[in-house]
Order: sequence, then structure tokens, then C-alpha cells
Amino acid sequence: MASNWRSAETAQLYLNRHKIPVIWDIDTRALVRHLRNVGALRGIVATDGTPAEQLIFEAKQLPSMTGQELASRVTCGKGYGWEKGSVEVATSPWTEQMGESDAHSEARKHRVVAYDFGIKQNILRLLVDHQCEVQVVPAQTSAEDVLEMKPDGVFLSNGPGDPEPIGYAVENIRNLIGHVPVFGICLGHQLCGLALGGKTFKLKFGHHGSNHPVKNLLTEQVEITAQNHGFCVDPESLPSSKVEITHVNLNDLTNEGMRHKSLPLFSVQYHPEASPGPHDSHYLFTQFTDLMKEFAQPGSSRR
Amino acid sequence: MPKRKDIKKILIIGSGPIIIGQACEFDYSGAQACKALRAEGYKVVLVNSNPATIMTDPELANRTYIEPLTKEYLEEIIAKEKPDALLPTVGGQTALNLAVELSESGVLEKYKVEMIGASLRAIKVAEDRLWFKDACRKIGLEVPASALVNNAQDALRLCDQLGFPLVIRPSFTLGGTGGSIAYNKEEFGEAIAHALDMSPVHEALVEESVLGWKEYELEVMRDFRDNFVVICTIENFDPMGVHTGDSITVAPAQTLTDKEYQRMRDAAAAIIREVGVETGGSNVQFAVNPENGRMVVIEMNPRVSRSSALASKATGFPIAKIAARLAVGMTLDEIPNDITKKTPACFEPTIDYVVVKIPKWQFEKFPGADSTLGTQMKSVGEVMAIGRTFKEALQKGVRSLEPSTPWRAPTETPDSLLREKLATPRPDRIHWLLTAMERGLPAQEICDLTKIDPWFIHQIEELTAMNRRAASVTVETASKELLREVKRNGTSDEQLAQIWRTTPASVRLQRARYGVAPVFKRVDTCAAEFESFTPYLYSTYEDEDESNPGTRPKIMILGSGPNRIGQGIEFDYCCCHAAFALREDGFETIMVNCNPETVSTDYDTSDRLYFEPLTLEDVLAIVEREKPQGVIVQFGGQTPLNLALELKRNGVPIVGTAPESIDLAEDRRRFGRLLEELKIPQPRNATALVPEEAARVAGEIGLPVLVRPSYVLGGRAMVIAYDVNTVQEYVAQAALMGPARPVLIDQFLEEATEVDVDALADGTDVIIGGIMEHIEEAGVHSGDSSCVLPPVSLSPAVLDTIREYTKRLALALKVVGLMNVQYAIQRDTVFVLEVNPRASRTVPFVSKATGVPLAKVAARLMGGKKLSSMSLPVVLHNGVAEVAVHEFYCVKSPVFPFNKFRGVDTILGPEMRSTGEVMGISTSYGQAFAKAQLAAGQRLPRKGTVFLSVNDRDKRHLASLGKELSALGFRLLATRGTAAALEAAGIEAEAVFKVNEGRPNIVDLVKTGKIDLVINTPLGRESFYDEKSIRRAAIRYNIPCITTLAAAHAAARGIHALLEQGTEVAALQDLHRGRAAASTVPGAGD
Repeated sequence: MASNWRSAETAQLYLNRHKIPVIWDIDTRALVRHLRNVGALRGIVATDGTPAEQLIFEAKQLPSMTGQELASRVTCGKGYGWEKGSVEVATSPWTEQMGESDAHSEARKHRVVAYDFGIKQNILRLLVDHQCEVQVVPAQTSAEDVLEMKPDGVFLSNGPGDPEPIGYAVENIRNLIGHVPVFGICLGHQLCGLALGGKTFKLKFGHHGSNHPVKNLLTEQVEITAQNHGFCVDPESLPSSKVEITHVNLNDLTNEGMRHKSLPLFSVQYHPEASPGPHDSHYLFTQFTDLMKEFAQPGSSRR
Repeated sequence: MPKRKDIKKILIIGSGPIIIGQACEFDYSGAQACKALRAEGYKVVLVNSNPATIMTDPELANRTYIEPLTKEYLEEIIAKEKPDALLPTVGGQTALNLAVELSESGVLEKYKVEMIGASLRAIKVAEDRLWFKDACRKIGLEVPASALVNNAQDALRLCDQLGFPLVIRPSFTLGGTGGSIAYNKEEFGEAIAHALDMSPVHEALVEESVLGWKEYELEVMRDFRDNFVVICTIENFDPMGVHTGDSITVAPAQTLTDKEYQRMRDAAAAIIREVGVETGGSNVQFAVNPENGRMVVIEMNPRVSRSSALASKATGFPIAKIAARLAVGMTLDEIPNDITKKTPACFEPTIDYVVVKIPKWQFEKFPGADSTLGTQMKSVGEVMAIGRTFKEALQKGVRSLEPSTPWRAPTETPDSLLREKLATPRPDRIHWLLTAMERGLPAQEICDLTKIDPWFIHQIEELTAMNRRAASVTVETASKELLREVKRNGTSDEQLAQIWRTTPASVRLQRARYGVAPVFKRVDTCAAEFESFTPYLYSTYEDEDESNPGTRPKIMILGSGPNRIGQGIEFDYCCCHAAFALREDGFETIMVNCNPETVSTDYDTSDRLYFEPLTLEDVLAIVEREKPQGVIVQFGGQTPLNLALELKRNGVPIVGTAPESIDLAEDRRRFGRLLEELKIPQPRNATALVPEEAARVAGEIGLPVLVRPSYVLGGRAMVIAYDVNTVQEYVAQAALMGPARPVLIDQFLEEATEVDVDALADGTDVIIGGIMEHIEEAGVHSGDSSCVLPPVSLSPAVLDTIREYTKRLALALKVVGLMNVQYAIQRDTVFVLEVNPRASRTVPFVSKATGVPLAKVAARLMGGKKLSSMSLPVVLHNGVAEVAVHEFYCVKSPVFPFNKFRGVDTILGPEMRSTGEVMGISTSYGQAFAKAQLAAGQRLPRKGTVFLSVNDRDKRHLASLGKELSALGFRLLATRGTAAALEAAGIEAEAVFKVNEGRPNIVDLVKTGKIDLVINTPLGRESFYDEKSIRRAAIRYNIPCITTLAAAHAAARGIHALLEQGTEVAALQDLHRGRAAASTVPGAGD
């Protein structure tokens, strides 16, 4: 049943078309309570009547998320440019009025190279909204290749699973830090953490959903954020002389963001681009463009 | 940010009496604010005129004033208490308006009181429709096109610009009072005149119609650090055009995509910032055009509201409690979430269930009132239901509303009428939707007619399809899968019994056989992500039960369901007190209720809360799960009492007075025999099933007679008949209404004084809690009559008789707990009118008047304690114990919703019509009465002109009243007959025209402001319309109108007292000094 003026087809048809299985009519609270107590589990969705014991056996054979390098499986085959801004759903000139940047303004464009570890399109749209000219590159692209493109900034995307096995990315980020402004989200944040010498660990059942309170320690303000991650940067493991913790999750006090004290790099664990999700953290995109502008100044202390 | 240290004492203003649009949700929010601020170490001074509230319990605030909510009294209290700050945002529109008045008149500045929670500017921007619209436009948000007008000419000019239909909203009124929709010039003219009248500033907004658009509300909070969270989204099932208080509403919003929702969320944040609400909760309303998604802002309330109470109950996030803390400078991130304890209040609750709110209307109480729903709220209460799906919640909601009328399609209506029933929103539209579907009206047509979102219509269609499938089997042949499916969708055993033409018991049996039983899930703010520590539960048909019942001795309290006239906040007050007292006594307390406005459904009030319909099926399911030692049915009014016998039959341990005794007291015949045995007189009475029999017995009893149905509360459909025809018509009507229950016919005692008595009993001892003398004579429903405690005109002998009868009755009925008796005293003979072995409407009033919390004591008696073990402050009168009365008078006065129902007569009678009550306290009876009148909105004049028009019976007693009024310096105007009677007694009075005698007549005089007080006692049928127009005019022009001679006498004494005594205030803590101990009964620990 679709009831929306923008609706083109029902959700069911849409999901069928994309061959996405749907689970429904189960006691979701029972499932959540179970996961809350025992931690995240591996699972199998089956509809063919295979006996439960068999499915449990098969699920147990599945490799754990920990230690798997998944980014290379979801990244793009080759780089591409991205030009689309946010989808306009409003008839009122909403985004401009709310302090969002105008995608079509004649303002100076920032050349941004975005690493795709499993990037979400809304990140790209918001970068475009913030006057960025975006070139997406595969996960394995080397730092040299990226720097050769002479970007004003580099973006490190979100992505699935454990950051630790993605050694090549950590290595590349190390080679980018200080040479170009860097902004990381989610997996990108974790990779930054590793590149700066920190460690990551697996959360019991991760952070999921669109209502996680995150406190910005610089402004003492709280943002409601969308999150979806199972691993987390251990703030204690970061060199405190170089790195400043900027954001913390108020539910479990885990790390949600950091910045380099002297070099142009900041990253957040949550999804400021959330879609679905609240827009409280869109300011980070402006922060990124500001950082790029500042870095571009000849006398910048960030250089 | 830590809480402020520069503030020590905070004044909280309550919302006054329960009226339509402002009900007990403000007791809930005010009580929460008191508790939160005291927990933070602040001293709280509370003012509210409504004694039936938990917030006015002396334990809740440091200083409690039950005083009229007017500027004069507030200034007096401020002068006396010298608070540092005023929190105006938890007492509804009343508190907000009063705060503005206090601020603008310089009172706050004079006494250096800071307004916290909302600034004057923020209140004004939010409340002034034009300023608000400007604010919205400034931040790029759309609002419906509109303009403010203060006269009819400008308004008419606007019509041409904006086109019809038009919405008319008076400025500064609550619950949309005086608002309406006009479809043409004629309607518009009337509507604008009414709206300008209703607005205290004589101003109204005329607005482009967004009728039929989707309607949403966001409940939001903000703190000093500019942290902003949305607590809950609410979607209206009924689209724009129906006041949100009169709409079925659903939480969370069901038909918004994330894109649209986030846009709304951003807009709400921008609005609260632009308006300048620095801290606290606000409510922002939006309309969305279903055709193109255009979103416009409708309004915002910079305070907690009905919707925020609903949102609090729907999410488990206590908005008022948090708002109070934010007002003193705390921030959301430093306040813990009560439910999870480990996570902060700075988050947005996740709802993994659906909440449906359905309003409760009572148009049957107001013959002649227009039952079309529009921009002015008309419902008197509401229910909330929780289910895992919309269908389940909706069906639970419908059965919570009135357990006796299941959701059923009305039949036998031609299709054309059916379309009208769908197109025009009225209380029963939800039922007509079923008819439409059963008749196969296409869903699209139903959507077009109702403008209800297709998604909702589709859901209901699926329900009807499911029920059709169910109808193809029988209770015996229904499969387990089908049974589980229908139960999962919220269909009750009773509905299934109807479908299968069997009894609910056999459906229950079949469910038991298949093991199809509900489980209980928790409302935990976080969709089970974190552990919850507050057992706030609802039933559903799923796999895992999360109730985890305790093992301590436990007592379950059945609440009273939706507020109704005659069954309102007073009963919720009693239920809360039962929970408080029994918790103190070491019991685990379990509350069952479905009314989101109340304190009883605060998860703090009892140890465990089941937010469930009060039907046999739902209550039995909880009892089976919890296995309580006792269930209390006598505190929640008629709703739980109606279940008592059935519960007992199903093995539920009812504590307190036995259901059989309750039944005996309701059964006229058996009760009559008991009274004979006890040698207690009662009015002659009989019962009749058919008109002929009724005529005969009425003749035997002697006219006039009082005619009413059995099993009633609040005098539903009760009339005084002066002739046999009326009696016959009534009985014929009653027979049409439903199953054969006899009609009761009683001798009507003319010119009698009525008395209400509340008593406590434990089976051995009886203590009279309080004796209240009604100010209006017998014939006016006790709930609509003002009364005074202690009595002012009863002789000691009569009082002793009343006490003796009360004791006899309590012992004979083996009352354990509370009992209420209504007496009529006619020429020193005491008649028993009615006995109710349960908590009554007057319990909170008596408790506030005497300082002895009757409901708490009664709950302890039900828990097994004895009166002899409690040291209550009693005195013996001829061997009967009575709670000692104070040296002051307490007057309770009712408050009526007549201004919401144009065209309804305001005359009082045996049918209860008041929605709320106020209390006046003073050392003199007159002053107490005047205060109560003032608190009820009747400002008695101190000088000027009084108009009198009284019936022949009253003319005989008019002289003393006339003399009193003349002596007070009033000029007297009267209709010819009344003027003659006055002059015959030597009192000067000018005769004026009645409406049909010429002009200028009395109505003209009222309209031109020449009259300051109207005293009009009803003459009877022939002059009915004349009188009605006088009384309507008085209401409309806000001139006090008194309709009984007894009240007129009291008013004269009141005016006298006002002139003599001036403005006096007193805190309950001072009035009851030395009685505080009574609230925590000594010996409670043994």
C-alpha cells in the first residue's frame, strides 16, 4: 500500500525488483533482547524449509566479521565523477533557507577525491551541495595517485566490517595526512584512527539506528545521529599529543569523532549524511570545506 | 550546565478546573514538575484552584494554595511567599495567560520574580498568530495565508481575498474555543462574531483553509545549550479541519517518509529557536498537502500540552519532568533517562509499537449541541492504546473507549446518508467507515469523502476482510492460526463472540485450548536496545513475555478509563492515592488504566503499570500473569465496578467491599428492603419496564418524580417529571436504547436540601470523612451543585441523624473502604437518596478540606488494616466518629462547558454536565463561596445592577434576597412578576421587558453591558426559550448567571464578604498544621 505523492511503486515491488529479502512478522523485541544479551550473532535468512538445526550449523560456519577485509568487495571497479546534489523533495526553497549551501551557486568549487570503501550516495550528494567537485576512487587507489589528482581535500568513506585488515588503506591514509585536508566517516574514521597509531575493537552489539546522542566536546552541544557500526576506535590508544577527541557517544561513552591537533584531518564515527536520519551533523561538511579553504591559504598554519 | 543556585523558591501555576481542552494532563505535568524541582532541592509554591488534583496534595509542594487563578490572588501569594522564579509552562493556557498578565502588569518585576521555562517574548511570539507567522516566514517556512481582524467589516472584506472555506480562530483561547470553519458568507458572519466574543483581546485570525491536509504534531524539547530533540511524532488520522484534541491520533507518524519527516524535524528546530523558547517542551503542528507535499506550519505551544502528555505516555519519556529540570538550567545530556537509567535524556525515543489515541465525546449530555467536529475541541476525555501494529492499537483503542459498545458498523442507512456520514466528521465516523466497507464502497471513494489517508483506510479494510474470513468459520472450527491472527490484529473476544454468535467466555476457552494468549511487552524508549527498569507494559500477541512479575505481596488497582462527565479526575486521584498508600505499606502496586492524561498512568505512580483497556478480557489476562493478592475496583468509578462481579466469578480476588454489596446498593428493590430493615427513610420509589406500568407507579408515588435508568454515573439521562406523559415517554425511549433494564422512578423531594457524606469503614468501625451541604437544592445533580463543608444550615439533630444513618448503612453493607451517601433533608426529615459503596467524586475535596487523605486510608483498609489502628483526628458525635472539621469553610463549585456548545441551555438539572470543579477556602462561608465562584470563572460583582427573574415558588422567598442585595448597594431590575413580588416586600425594583414583551428587553440589556449579575430560576416549560436566551446571553457576555435561589443567597453573602474581607490567601500546609501526620498513618509499618 503506497500513500505518498512521490510514490512511484510500492515498497514491496521495489524490494522485489532489487531482490532484497524482507523479514516480517517476527517478534523483533525478542530478537533485539537476545542480541542485547549475547552480542551480535551471525545469521542466515532461509525460506526453503531447511530444518533450523541445519541452518544454525551453517550460520556457525560463516566467518566472523572480525578479521575480514570487506571493503575491496564493495568498492567500485574504477573511479568516476559525481555531480548530483540532494534530492529536492520540498517545494519550498528549503535547503537554502536552512543554512545549507546552494548547489548551483557560482562559488568556488573544491576538488574532492572520495575513497570508496562502500560509500553512501548521500555523502556524495551533500559534498556536491557544499560546492565540491567529487571524484570517487576505488579503495585500493594509492596515496600518490590521489595526490597526483591535486585534490583540495580527500574524503574517506564508510564501509562494512573490521577496519584492521584493510592495511593498504591505513598505509595510504598515513601518506595523505598533512599533505591534504582529510575528512573520514565511519569506516573512514576507524581507518584514520589506525593510521594515527590507534587501535580498534569490536562492540558487543554495535551501534545501529537513527537516534544516537553524540556530544561535540568542542561546542558541548549534542547531535542526534544515525549510526551503523560494529567496530570502534579506542581513544586511549591514540597519541594524545597529536590527536584530540572531539565527539563522544552519550549512551556508552565510546568514541565518535577526533581531529588532528596540528594537521588538517578530522573524522567521525557516525553518519552525518544520514538518510534516513537527522540532519543535525550536516555542519561537518561545511567544516570540511572550511578546512579546505583554510588549507588553500598560502600562510595556513595547517600546511 | 549545572542547575541554577541563584533560585531557591519556584512558583508553579496549575491549570485550574477540568474543562474541555484543558484536563488532567496538566495535573500530570504539574505534579511531575513539582516532584522534579523538589528532587533538585528547590522549594516549590503551587497554586491551583482544583482540589481534585494530585498536584494540590500538601505533600507534593512545600506550599500549596488552593486559590482562584486570578491576578489578584496570585499577587497576594507572590507577596506572601516571595518566590524567586515562576514556572508558567506546566499549567496549560491558563497558567501561560496568567503569567503574561502578571508580567505585563508589573507584578513580577515588583516582587523580583523571574519567569523561567519561557520568556514573555517567546510566549507572545508563539501565541500571537501574526507574530508567529512572521517568525515562520522569516526562517523560510510556509504558513497558511491569513490576516488578523478585530471587527466584522474587515473580516468580510478578507473573505473575498482568501475565498471559502475559511478557518476562524480567536486569539488567546484554549482548546480552539470559539474557532470554526465557514463555507459561506452567512456562516462566516456568525462565526466571526462568536470568535471575537470568545477572544479575551477581541481578535481573531481568518485563515486560508488547509482542510483535508495531512496533520502532524512534533513534541520537541530544547535546553540552554541549544540541544534539541524530538520526543515523539504524532499523525492525525482525521485530517486538518478537525481539532487535534478531537482527532484520532497515531504515534509515531505512519505515512511520512524519512525525507519529509526530517524536513519537519528541521523546521520544528528552527521554529523553537526563532520563537525563542530557550528551554522546555514545545509542540509544533504542521499540515502537509497530500497532493504535492507542500508543508505549512500551523501553530506551536511553548509549553507542555495535551499532546506532550500523550507523547510522554506514548514513549515513556516524561516531558514535563524533564522540562522542569531544563528550566532551572540543567541540560538534556546531564539528566538520566529514568527508564534505562544508564543512558541520558538527550536522545530521541524509538517506538517499536504503535500508539492510538481516541477522543471521548459526550454530546448526549448536551441536547441541541452540534456534534460536528471542527476547529474547536469538544471531546471530554481520551483513551490511548498500545499495540505492535496500527490495527491492533486501533482496535484496542476502540474497546477502551466504552467497553459496552464494541466497534460495529451501524446499518439501515441509505447510501446517500452514508456518504454524508463519511464526509462530515462526527464522533461516530469510525463506525461508519465499517459500514462503508461492508457495503463495498471503493476505498478511493472513502478516501475522497473523508480525506483520511489511504493508508489508514487500507488498514481498516484489511481488518474488515479479516473479520469476514473469521465469519466463515465458528468458534469450534476456527484454526489456531486464524485465532492467533485475529488476536494479533487486536480483535477482542467480545467482537469474536459477536461474529461467531457465541459468548466471550467460549472464545476465551478456545484460546486457552490452543494456547493463544497475550504476552506483555515493555515501553522502554529504546526498542529493547537497553535494559529497562520500569515495568511499563502493554499486551500483544507475540512470542516473548517481558513482564517478569515480582514475588512481593501485590495489589492491583483498576483505573477509571477515559475522562467522562461524572467520572473524571477525582477517580484517578483516588486510584493514585491507593497506589501511594499501598506502596508505603509494602505492597507491590499494579495500575491498570488506558487514559493517557492521568497521573495514574505515570510509570512513577505505581510499581507496575499496565496501559490496557479496562475490559474483562484484558484485565483477566493481566491477573493471570500477575496473580495479585487483591484487586481494587472501588476507586475507578463505574468502569471497574461494572467488571467486579464478572471478575469475581472468574476467581479474581476483589478486596474491599464485596461486589455483591456494591450490586445490592445499585439494586433498587433489594436496597429498598435493606433501608426498611434499617429503618431509614427514602423517597417513595418503584421500577418500571413499560410505559403503562410507569404511569401507574408514578401516580402511586405522587408527582413530581425523578426518572432514570439503573446503573448510572453522573446522572446520565435523568429527568424530573412533573406530569405522567413525560414519565411514559421516558420509559418508552429507554426501552429503545437497549436491553431491558428497569427504569427507576422516585418521589422527587421539592425544596429539600441535599447532603453528600463520604465515610470510611472497615467492617467493624465507621468514620465519617466529611458532610457536605449542597448549596443548590435537591434536583440539581450532586456533581453540578456547589457544596460547603462543614454544613452551614443543618441543625445538630439532623447532622446526628445523618451520621447515625451513615454508620448503619456502612455496617449493613459490610463496607471495607469508602462509601458515599446522598441524603435529602426535607423539613427536618432525612431521606437517603443513594448509597455508593465506593470512592466518590467528592473524596479529593473532602481530603483537601479536612487534611485527612480518605482514599489512602481506604486503600489501607482494603489492604487489611483497621481504623482502630490508625490515629485519625476524629471527634465523637453521639457515638459516631467523624473527622474533626476545621475552623474554616470549604466550598466546592462546578465548572461547565457551556461556552463550547452553542445553543445549549445552561440550566442545571438532574443530568450532570459539569466537567470540573474548584474549591474556595475561607474563614467565612460567604468569602469561600465567592472564591469558588471566582475560581469557576464567575466573577461576582461588588457593585452595579442585578437582574432577577424567579419562578412563583421562589417569589415567596425572594424578600430576604432582595433586601440583602439592596443593602449591598445594588440596583435591582426584574421581570414584571418578580418586580411586583419585590415591591410587595418593600424593595425597590425596576421592571424590564422579557424577550417577547418588547424592546429594549433583558437580553438587550445584557448585551449592552448594563447588567452585572443575573439571577434567573427556571419557570417551567412555557417560558423556556425566553429564559434560555437570557442565560445564553449571560454566558456569552461573561456575566455571572445564577439559576437557583439558594446559590443567589450564597452569592449575596459572598459579595458581602468580598467587600468586607478583600483578598485573602492561605496555604494548605498552614490550614492543616498538625494534621500532616494523618497522611502517613501511624502504625503503617506494623
